[in-house]
Amino acid sequence: MSGKKKGFNIHSRGVGDRLFCLLLLLPAIILCITFIIIPIINSVWMSFTDYKIANLTQGIPGKWNHFANYIRLWDSGKLQSAAWITIFFVAVTVLLTFIISMTLALILNSNIVGARFWRSVMMIPWVIPTVIAGLLWAWIYANPYGLLQYLVSVFSGGEIADFGILNNQETALWGIIIAALWKQIPLMALLLLSGMQSIPDDMLEAAKIDGANYLNCLFRIIIPHMKSVIAVTVSMCIIENFKQYPLFATLTNGGPSGATTTFAVLSYDEAFVNYNYGSGAAVTTVWLLLMIVVVFIFNRVFKRDDS
Amino acid sequence: MKRHKSVHKMATRFAGGFAKYLVLIFIFAFLLFPVYWMLVTSLKTNVESYRLVPTLWPEQLSVEGYQTLISDGKFLVYYKNNILVSAAAAVLICFISVFAGYALSRFHFKWNVMLLATFSFAQMMPVISRLISLYTILRKLNLTDTHLGLVLAISATQIPFTVSLMASFFDGIPRELEEAASIDGSGRFYTLFHIIMPLVVPGLLAVGVYSFLMTWDDYLHAITLIRSTDLWTLSQGLKLTYLGEVSDWQLINSASTLGTIPMIFVFFFFQKYMIKGLTAGAVKG
Repeated sequence: MSGKKKGFNIHSRGVGDRLFCLLLLLPAIILCITFIIIPIINSVWMSFTDYKIANLTQGIPGKWNHFANYIRLWDSGKLQSAAWITIFFVAVTVLLTFIISMTLALILNSNIVGARFWRSVMMIPWVIPTVIAGLLWAWIYANPYGLLQYLVSVFSGGEIADFGILNNQETALWGIIIAALWKQIPLMALLLLSGMQSIPDDMLEAAKIDGANYLNCLFRIIIPHMKSVIAVTVSMCIIENFKQYPLFATLTNGGPSGATTTFAVLSYDEAFVNYNYGSGAAVTTVWLLLMIVVVFIFNRVFKRDDS
Repeated sequence: MKRHKSVHKMATRFAGGFAKYLVLIFIFAFLLFPVYWMLVTSLKTNVESYRLVPTLWPEQLSVEGYQTLISDGKFLVYYKNNILVSAAAAVLICFISVFAGYALSRFHFKWNVMLLATFSFAQMMPVISRLISLYTILRKLNLTDTHLGLVLAISATQIPFTVSLMASFFDGIPRELEEAASIDGSGRFYTLFHIIMPLVVPGLLAVGVYSFLMTWDDYLHAITLIRSTDLWTLSQGLKLTYLGEVSDWQLINSASTLGTIPMIFVFFFFQKYMIKGLTAGAVKG
């Protein structure tokens, strides 16, 4: 009986505790290993081999091909272009999402009428499935008959009569950025708002009594206090946008002439449209590395700011 | 002089308040108008939708889009499949996360730290990077083109986040409860199921609803793993069936509306738990 008594004491980690803990974790570990870890390792390996549809159907293992997948992608310029488009998309979307969400959170945190109501209604775009979000914006952007085209023609005094944001190489990516903002602002605003609410009120009161103006309060008290929440939400947002695929699939499919071909679109096309799995895996490997580097740099910069 | 200053102050405060509401309305118009537009288009005839000057409210209400969707059968099949897949995934995720979350919250073995690190790394992975090999692996297991394979794959994607979310809920429950129970002589499983579990029901709800919403959103897994049209999920069916060169926008918007409404209801119904869960997950990191 005395052994049981110590069962949950941290200092006496019995064999029983270990077994119990392992047993509880086992399903999660098995699922993650089979469906996440092994596929990732396998995919990195695949990127160095010649692996096409025949290998898949006949179960032939891929053959080492001396970086041919990478070389071909690099020489065709596809890899570089996908990298720039992805980075541009991520940088602009994350920055704008942060600025708008922060503004929204600050407004909702001040004493406005019906703050709780606004907070709930705000979440609607987040709840809408991404493919439906894509369809919804595809209709707004539709050329002809879309709402945006009409608005542009009204505001330009009829000068720009058939504006198709997705048909133009220069504007297509912006069309997707707007849809991505629309989908992501609610969650970030909600998280920032909850971070803001944990700032002690008396601190802001004291600052106001000392004569600090609004911007002073914002940059000296609110933002420094929310540092960890900002770090987490922004890095979540970076990852989310690096991974974005459904919006591209529904809105542009990578076009026009590759203007919106990000890593996600390129790897999907290589693997599941051209059936060159090795090449698709090469794209995802580069994509993965770039994402890790970006997130790492972001966290580093944020940590340094701290000291 | 003093009075003049205070008038000035009041004026700026008033202007500030006005600007605040103006910005708020602007952002909310951006967030909500597209949803309104979807709803309204679904109720317009196509002839009215294809006018060069759009109408803000349908001149003639038409539910033809909804009628077509319900009578052609395909849409309901996608819908049913999606409910089935998401519900199964949500149950599986809850089940796995409760156990793993409890273990991570209560025991602090070295490998638990490693596991958490692996989980957060796994969470970062783009789905496509896994899909290529996942497809080959599932083919070997004869699980491509089955709902079982899809459920397992989409559940695995959510597990890293839901496990740490669940762990944060367990962290909020005092350890003394277990100690007391073990002094009373109850076994580990009994303690977990009968004493601790009832206390984390709100957390479990948060995880369940979150998983349901997230797996409902899945598109990539479905389009790569599922081929047979009678197994398609909603997102996949919407994209592959209705979006074409010539799109029937009334039909698409009706389908989008039907695909959205249940999610909105689920969210508003469980809002309290969801918001708590989401913010706990992120604020804790």
